[in-house]
Amino acid sequence: MEKDEFITLKLELFRDNKKKYVEYNYIKRDFDERPMALDVLLQAQENEIDDLAFRYGCRARNCGVCTIDVNDKPRLACRARVKDGDKISPIATLPKIKDFVVKRDGISRQMQGYNNISIKNNLNVEADHSYHNLTSCIECYACLDGCPLHKKNNLEEINNNPYTYGNPFSFLKLQRLYLDPLTPEKEKETIIEKAKSLGLETYKKEYNNLKIKCGVGINLKDEVIKPLLKVAFGDQIEKKNK
Amino acid sequence: MKNTTNIDILECDVIVVGSGGTGSQAVQAVAEEGLNVIVISKDPMSSSDTKICEGVMTVRESGDIKDTESVLSENIKLAGADLPDEKITSAFAKDSKEAYDRLRMNGLRPSINKDTEKPKTLAIAMGGHNKSRSVGHKNSGLAFGHNIWDTIIKYKNVKYIEDCWFLEIIKSDNNKLSNDNKNIVVGGLAYDACRGKLLIIKSKTVILASGGLSTLFFPKTDTMRGNTGDSYALAIRAGADLLDMEQIQFLPFCLASPPSYEGLLAGEPATASFLGVLRDNNNKIILDSVYLRTRAECSEAIMRAVEDGRGSPNGGAYLDMTANKLAPKSGEYFMKYLKGALPSAYNNARQALGKKAGNAEEPWEIRPGAHYSMGGVRVDEYAKAFKTSKDINNPEEIKGLYAAGQAMGGLFGANRLGSTSLTELAVFGYRAGKSAADYAKKEKITFDDRDFDESIKYYDNLFGSNGVEKIYKLKLEFQKECWNNIGPARSEKKLKKIITYIEKLEKKVKNVKINLERKWNQQFIDYIELKNMIYTAKSVALASLKRDKSVGGHVRLDRRASSIFSKPYSTVVNFDSRLGFKVTKLPRTRTEFKRLIIYKINEKSRLLKARILRYLPLNIRDSIIEKKYKKILGENKKVIKIEPGSSAAAPGESQNITY
Repeated sequence: MEKDEFITLKLELFRDNKKKYVEYNYIKRDFDERPMALDVLLQAQENEIDDLAFRYGCRARNCGVCTIDVNDKPRLACRARVKDGDKISPIATLPKIKDFVVKRDGISRQMQGYNNISIKNNLNVEADHSYHNLTSCIECYACLDGCPLHKKNNLEEINNNPYTYGNPFSFLKLQRLYLDPLTPEKEKETIIEKAKSLGLETYKKEYNNLKIKCGVGINLKDEVIKPLLKVAFGDQIEKKNK
Repeated sequence: MKNTTNIDILECDVIVVGSGGTGSQAVQAVAEEGLNVIVISKDPMSSSDTKICEGVMTVRESGDIKDTESVLSENIKLAGADLPDEKITSAFAKDSKEAYDRLRMNGLRPSINKDTEKPKTLAIAMGGHNKSRSVGHKNSGLAFGHNIWDTIIKYKNVKYIEDCWFLEIIKSDNNKLSNDNKNIVVGGLAYDACRGKLLIIKSKTVILASGGLSTLFFPKTDTMRGNTGDSYALAIRAGADLLDMEQIQFLPFCLASPPSYEGLLAGEPATASFLGVLRDNNNKIILDSVYLRTRAECSEAIMRAVEDGRGSPNGGAYLDMTANKLAPKSGEYFMKYLKGALPSAYNNARQALGKKAGNAEEPWEIRPGAHYSMGGVRVDEYAKAFKTSKDINNPEEIKGLYAAGQAMGGLFGANRLGSTSLTELAVFGYRAGKSAADYAKKEKITFDDRDFDESIKYYDNLFGSNGVEKIYKLKLEFQKECWNNIGPARSEKKLKKIITYIEKLEKKVKNVKINLERKWNQQFIDYIELKNMIYTAKSVALASLKRDKSVGGHVRLDRRASSIFSKPYSTVVNFDSRLGFKVTKLPRTRTEFKRLIIYKINEKSRLLKARILRYLPLNIRDSIIEKKYKKILGENKKVIKIEPGSSAAAPGESQNITY
């Protein structure tokens, strides 16, 4: 095989409770192909590691399940182009189960029962754009990277327990509910209490150093964290950094 | 029961298989009744076709107060070539508004029309649906994704287990309470991959909400990877009838390359606009007036070219829209239309095929892709599953088994109107939940551990299977065979070929290698999914063979198109472990001739007009088309969004046309 017919990637697998590194030569299907990380994983399973475990769904950046780390940064495998020498590993922010598969549901479990809205409302009320900006979230969990709160959780455990501390995604869920025009004022208090119980205060302290990035480009600091902090603690965030 | 360290025992009133739109609605219906639910989901909760769809939903009366239940019900039945079950189409029409409001109570927020105080509908009466009743949503399916998620985690009496594969519906062999003791559900068996355990779940009811089968054709599909036919395979193994399994909706214009984009949607017939044509590899026009053609006609033209060796390098053909672009006056309008009508599809094409293609300056290589299974589990309007024992017209209920959403059959028949699947899941997911709750409340069942023994033994023994075949390889080869033989182009020869292929594959599958590891055993997972794909593909092949005319979303290369004089019938496939597969015809009632004839005449005259247009002198043609675009784009030149899979996206399939 000529050198320009393949690219070499380092795959970090997780097996028998430890990391295992494998070099994989991805065979290019076109001379100038720049494959996505997902293409590499699919081909590796076909050609060499038939029991390779990884998630994928829609292949079009919509379903949010294929998140992996490329060179230690979270990316959607279906839309992350990789090049010679890149490292692909499971996302570092959730407990590993096997190879690239991580346990995700500690997050949804911490939100169980958060939505208590009474349903006896006039439904024909329009939500504004700030509400809809938040529903573009695909739940890819790229935002866990750099979150000072989430890393306080026990990220080794893989039982079906909820996480104690929140993360940008769980706060996004709360903020969306807060912005919902059908949420009664009384319920809004509960939402803020929930945010506090998930450790919102940590964000207050670390707001200016907070480096969280959304996988689909939602401005999490301005549209989620800042408004929640404002309602919860009343004081203004001094500096705005995007 | 051996090896109990690897087995957990759970109990509940209702098991819901699947955590997409259908599953969430079933969960709500049961949870409201205060019963205990266990949701089993192999993919992360809510990551489903519902989450990745276009987010347009059929809501009766949303755009027109004359939109009665019978108008909508008949619309679906006629579009489905008289294969749909009238009781089911009526239930759909009856519940659609209420079902939509339930989603809104859970947080779905459409734009509101200030004058009517109702959700805004997408379009003027634009083809397909005979009334304006499709409501669009910001962020498309993602808005529904959040909704599903919120619904499933809302209730305290709902336990959900993701990364968990539902293996088998368990029925009673030992229940003394009833004479027809083999027809009572007593629970299910599942594989919890994260913890490496088999789960015995004792439950009076199981709701199948586990989606479709498009992964049979992977990567030639625009749907979620998890669509491995689980719903159909689980149901048929539990004795249920499967209806119209040959009816798979293929979208004709999916991408054929580059590999990362393969299968994703590039456009719809309407995308081709007034002057778009299909060409083969020799640059010969294989279909004109593409925008007025049905999806099946487009797929047929492409697949016939491929069969004759005139296909494009990646097994498709070319969608050539350059004439639209080159027209001096109307060209500019065309580009607006192209970019705006189907934005997500356009973006796929632009990213995959490059700038020149994006500007319609060169043809697009396209190929059909699997989108939706219109057939499915035979249910009644309450989502109860049925099986034929003696008389095909009088099937008996499988007590405790329900199916809804894409898993069910009987709603769409041979063609699906656009934006109807979200309504399907909201209506029938909820109905399934209520039916299951009613049954679970009143029925008394004694659980007997022995009912589970056979299945546990079978699945437990798979770990450590020491064969030579690699499951993943078998799966990839099988997907290619499915595309070639039960894909958009079929013939008797192809169908018989795949049945023979499956017989050989079944032998190979007995000789696979599965390692011993319990925790997330990918070989075990691939095995389960391949097994389900085999049952499903076999049902599709047998049902296709029973169809003696070309009807619906695929083409029979060796059969004539069904005429309006043909008597409509559905196909029914079932399976018995002793007797094997059986396929039967189920007669359906035909819509009166008068209406059918009017429909056909409209179709022909539209096509004739479009052809005349193509042969007019260039400048006259250009002016006419310019006017037409102005009409479509409206005063403010804002493009009306078309939904992929809808009839507006394939006006040739519609009854009313406003072009």
